Amino acid sequence: MLKVSGLSLQLGSQLVLQDIAFSLPQQGILGVIGPNGAGKSSLLKLISRALPPTCGQILLRQRPLSQYTNQQLARTLAVVSQHPPPLFALTVFQVAAMGLLPHKSWFETTNSSDRASVTRALNKVGLANKADVLIDTLSGGELQRLYIARALVQQPALLLLDEPTNHLDVQYQHQVLQLLRELNIPVLVCIHDLNLAALYCDSLLLLNKGHQVAFGTPEQVLQHQQLQQVFALECQVSRHPALDKLQITFLPPGAA
Amino acid sequence: MVKLAARLSLPRQRNYPLMLLITLLLLVASAVFSLTLGSAEISINDIIAVLFGTAGTPALADTVIWQIRLPRLLCAMLVGAGLAVSGAILQNVSRNPLADPYLFGLMAGAGLGATIVSVVLPAQLFSVAVGAFAGALLAVALVFVFCAGQHWRKVEVTLLAGVAVSFMLSALSSFILYFAEPFAANRVMFWLMGSLSRTDWQSVLLLAPVTLLVLLLALALRRQLDALLLSDESARTLGVNTSRLRLVLLLATALLTACIVSQCGGIAFVGLMIPHLVRRLFGVTSLHLLTGSALLGALFLIWVDNLARTVLPQQEIPLGVITSLVGSLFFLTLMRAKQT
Repeated sequence: MLKVSGLSLQLGSQLVLQDIAFSLPQQGILGVIGPNGAGKSSLLKLISRALPPTCGQILLRQRPLSQYTNQQLARTLAVVSQHPPPLFALTVFQVAAMGLLPHKSWFETTNSSDRASVTRALNKVGLANKADVLIDTLSGGELQRLYIARALVQQPALLLLDEPTNHLDVQYQHQVLQLLRELNIPVLVCIHDLNLAALYCDSLLLLNKGHQVAFGTPEQVLQHQQLQQVFALECQVSRHPALDKLQITFLPPGAA
Repeated sequence: MVKLAARLSLPRQRNYPLMLLITLLLLVASAVFSLTLGSAEISINDIIAVLFGTAGTPALADTVIWQIRLPRLLCAMLVGAGLAVSGAILQNVSRNPLADPYLFGLMAGAGLGATIVSVVLPAQLFSVAVGAFAGALLAVALVFVFCAGQHWRKVEVTLLAGVAVSFMLSALSSFILYFAEPFAANRVMFWLMGSLSRTDWQSVLLLAPVTLLVLLLALALRRQLDALLLSDESARTLGVNTSRLRLVLLLATALLTACIVSQCGGIAFVGLMIPHLVRRLFGVTSLHLLTGSALLGALFLIWVDNLARTVLPQQEIPLGVITSLVGSLFFLTLMRAKQT
């Protein structure tokens, strides 16, 4: 689905990303992890073509990203990120229906099958009963789910999310990530919380200061030595007895 | 202030088709009524007869309607629709609820053009309208040249450049008028405050296609306009080239407004007020906003012109005076209603 090789990004004199290479199969969630300034968001910007890479290649469905037209790209790849509240209050349905844009020509109207696909997407994220509600009354978790619904209306082959669990309380964090699991399309997500990454991601990409430290299964990436080096904190990696997933505990400086 | 103005556009349950029908009916009724107003008394029956070319209509009525009142009425509708649609587009494109068609220093440019034509150049060389159009284009060109290379990302820069160009061109006009004969200043002044008294069929032929084209263009781009409401980034991920969309729509509205200014001077507040009213009555998304603005803008300006022609005997009030008065009262009332 997505294949990245030799990818580098230089902004001014600063090397933001250097020689990144990984691939994402047809299914599953790839989590991009790393400390602040590791280059997670920049990587997402390169893949969504918000920034051009300095060198390297991104293949989306075996085709170079640069060959896509804007419209083709918006039909293939959807991005979920945080937005400031809109100037004029829109309803949940209106925001989700924005996802129709890449599939519509100039004077094409919104027909009943379009409305059905918007309603389907809202159903999937559990917001169908709030279709006519103004979005400034939504909670943070609902808003995040709404932006995911808008992305689904685009009918993308790949979904990108930048820190979807930021500012959400624990319940909503799990709700959003569980939703991503149930979508059955490949997902690339930047995520801060290593325990959530270990719980929900099928593969992980660990970045540090623009370099790729590790790429592989959570077991391969979340290794004690590696994490300790990257995050500059003493840590313990254990396995949750019931969930059979890795658990990471960072220890306060000096506690070890 | 910006937040407050945005709050004025709070939506509520609305029925778009019903509002459309009501406004259309009001528009037709107001248009016919407007044709009856004037120093020559013409009944509604006569007007209908004249409009449908029935035999035996009085010759005077025929001339008054076809040569004076009908072109003026059509101009009122086109100017109202054009200003309101431009305002709606600009508010969405600049994501600024206080944006209005006279951004980019258009009025100041038109004023300078009109001043030069009526004071500096030899009489009758150009009409004031041509001068105003050239001046308005000059202002737009200055703003666009200044902002070229910014890729139209920084809307604030465009707005500020408009303010700066405005002051620059106004200063030039003031300088010229200061040394001119007092009557010239009066003429330019009355002209700048807006009036439909000089419009004729030529104005209609200029304004109708331009207004229609800009409206159609905006309707074609309505989904892109909607996508801009959240954020530029959000619009880009939906495949919208935001820089190009901005540039195209800013240019289109600037040209439309320059045409309007050249025909009837400055009519403030229509482009600012009508879109806010439309968002409350018709809806926030661009399809509702654009069609509603066109209809309500036309309706509003018909009545403003009716007032301008009839309030004082033997004299017309400048349109800009009425629209500014009504507009400011409208905003104050709404703000008060929101606070309580």
